[in-house]
Amino acid sequence: MENLHIGDLTIEVAPAAPDGVISCTWRGKSNERNPPEILKPWFEKLLAAVSEQQGSLEMHFEKIEHFNSSTITALIRLIQLCRKSGVKLVMVYDQTLKWQRLSFDALRVFEKNDDLFHLRFA
Amino acid sequence: MATSGDFGFSIDMTVRNEWRNVDLLRTSVQNCFTAVFADVDGCHAIAMVTGELLENALKYGDWTRGDRAMFRLRVHGTRENDVEVSVQNPVGESDGNANLLLQSIEEINSFAKPEQAYRARLLQIAQSEDSAPSRLGLVRIAFEGNCRLSATLADGTVTVRAVLASTST
Repeated sequence: MENLHIGDLTIEVAPAAPDGVISCTWRGKSNERNPPEILKPWFEKLLAAVSEQQGSLEMHFEKIEHFNSSTITALIRLIQLCRKSGVKLVMVYDQTLKWQRLSFDALRVFEKNDDLFHLRFA
Repeated sequence: MATSGDFGFSIDMTVRNEWRNVDLLRTSVQNCFTAVFADVDGCHAIAMVTGELLENALKYGDWTRGDRAMFRLRVHGTRENDVEVSVQNPVGESDGNANLLLQSIEEINSFAKPEQAYRARLLQIAQSEDSAPSRLGLVRIAFEGNCRLSATLADGTVTVRAVLASTST
């Protein structure tokens, strides 16, 4: 799976770990006008690759400087896409940054008992 | 320019309606306020509020008119260390965006806590079509920026104001 480079945003994809976890590290800024439009097709390819390997996904946000509210919509779509595909998703954030703590803690409304979506701080 | 009654900073400028200016101004505001305040989280919040208001203006403003003076960013401080960020932009008389914006602010302010409004909006987005506009920016301003929102409509422009409570120096 190739990294994503779009505008000021890079998402680096690491090779699958022995336990099947594929880690993606977000860097820079997600400030495009319509991030879901750009991210959705990339997420779909990524999920296809993860499913093929019967792995799970970790999205790391500790290094990202900023994302706009439209990016949060894209993250909600990713949570839904993973759940629909039966792929486990973990979002990892930096709780020492207030904006990350607020943004990601709010996404706990999407945690369910199905073990398919979790939030974790680094 | 700052006036004697202000805390000591004031930004007031017209903006070209280009998307790349959102991040240029957001980062500029963040850098300026980092020079004023020790509160890094507060500076990030002011910058986020600036970015979200500018994005909304560009997405929902009426840009068929060419009057640059109608797109304006103002950021200023008060004696109580409150910071007010406001963005003025032209709106179409018949496109409904201005009224939708006023309704959104009224709805956000009707919640006891902005956090409740934010979580409710997240759940609405999850239930909506992919193509539907998220309109998450305003409620993010209220929640993450801990802001009180208001807006006024006059002479073909809308001005949205976000007041951030006391930022520590």
